[in-house]
Amino acid sequence: MEWLTPLVAPFIVLNAIIGIVTYVTLLERKFAARMQSRVGPYRVGPHGLLQPIADAIKLMMKEDVVPTAVDRPVYNLAPIVFLVPCMLIFATIPFAPGLGVADLNIGILFFLAVSAMEIVGLFMAGWGSNNKYALLSAMRAVNQVISYDLPFIFSALVPVLLAGSLRLSDIAAAQAGLWFVFYPVVGQLAFIAFIVSTVAAENRAPFDILEAESELVAGFRVEYSGMKFAIIQLAEYAHVVGASFLGALLFLGAWAGPGPEWLGPGWFLLKAMFVFLLVTWVRWSFVRIRVDQILALSWKVLLPATLVLLIAAAIVVVWRGTPGV
Amino acid sequence: MSADVLAFWFLAIVLVGSALAVVLTKNLFHAVLWLALALTGTAGVFLLLDAEFLAAVQLLLYAGGIVTIVVFAIVVTERLVGERLSQTSRRIGGGAVVAGGVLALLLNAMRGQPFPAARPEMAGDLTRLIGETVLTRFVLPFELLAVLMLAALMGAIYFARPDE
Repeated sequence: MEWLTPLVAPFIVLNAIIGIVTYVTLLERKFAARMQSRVGPYRVGPHGLLQPIADAIKLMMKEDVVPTAVDRPVYNLAPIVFLVPCMLIFATIPFAPGLGVADLNIGILFFLAVSAMEIVGLFMAGWGSNNKYALLSAMRAVNQVISYDLPFIFSALVPVLLAGSLRLSDIAAAQAGLWFVFYPVVGQLAFIAFIVSTVAAENRAPFDILEAESELVAGFRVEYSGMKFAIIQLAEYAHVVGASFLGALLFLGAWAGPGPEWLGPGWFLLKAMFVFLLVTWVRWSFVRIRVDQILALSWKVLLPATLVLLIAAAIVVVWRGTPGV
Repeated sequence: MSADVLAFWFLAIVLVGSALAVVLTKNLFHAVLWLALALTGTAGVFLLLDAEFLAAVQLLLYAGGIVTIVVFAIVVTERLVGERLSQTSRRIGGGAVVAGGVLALLLNAMRGQPFPAARPEMAGDLTRLIGETVLTRFVLPFELLAVLMLAALMGAIYFARPDE
């Protein structure tokens, strides 16, 4: 039985994640609808609960239109190259003490490194489509990703410093006494920086210039249809959900919560959904900002701010004597 | 054959194949994608040798960062400026001779060296050890490298500034 675990655990996690990601789309649509005084999806199933399933079936049955001028191998591979890193990021996330695929000792670095690979798939889609909108979108994506990867990494490193470990389960365990978001000043500022750079790194409004529907139609995925389009959407949402889980783990104490221990994964999921709704709230509240404003926010505000935060966290750790709360 | 050996041969084939593809494909963009695969394969080799930290940094900096910048450069020159770039490997013969020479040199250096049959057991947390040695024993080279990078950065900005 022992040898089965490395095969079964990823299978379960992968399917659970796909399930969560599918339903997160419904959550977002309902949430956005309520913000705009609408009801949102309501017809399919009770309260529209079967809507994601219907969407998935619809996308699977759709015709797969491939333009003649595309760079075929690149065009066909792009959705997969895009999806793989977005799924791999869940590999190191511990959903409860000892419950996860792999609790690496460089957990957070693995997460950051793998999620940085996403841009390769995005660029393959943008280039392979042989479409000016797709290419412009991919160019903007590179601009944005280069700018916001650094604040994202630096703000995620603040909890690492406070906990004194790169292992995600250690970081979660270090918050047993005090969640890092409640850590005076440093914690709150790092959380805000994390949320802002997550919104930007996920290319969501107000930072969604790469899919700006009024100018670029749908950006890098404009030539994709059917299942390939579905895979790209799935990957994007999986990335957002992965970043939400990371935020809940780094700042909100992961599985800590009242009640018996087996409720831990439930608490973790709730907190991750809270972070997801925070990101969604930002998305549906602000208008798109210009590219120079996006770059200025990253290089002139977020980057110096997160660097100062990192140094402040280091000073706190040295001053307290030992890493960890 | 153990899983380690199997994984090594798999990675070796991927690495050599993609590295050859980098220099032999005509399409410059495809070459960069092969390069990304080769760099990811290198990260796999690091992972196989229990150097997780190096593997993660390899992915983060090379496969994520460097490839992105190279792709950016190609797109700016080829698609937006309109200049058609294609990779023409004109001196395949000469290249093969140089590559063969390097191979012979490496084999010569390695010959007679005893290779341990088993990987040495790594003691303790490697990532922690890397951090500690870099910031204690090797702190001077580390800082010098940082200064070098800064100088390179300033140089790049100097050359990139618009003409007055």
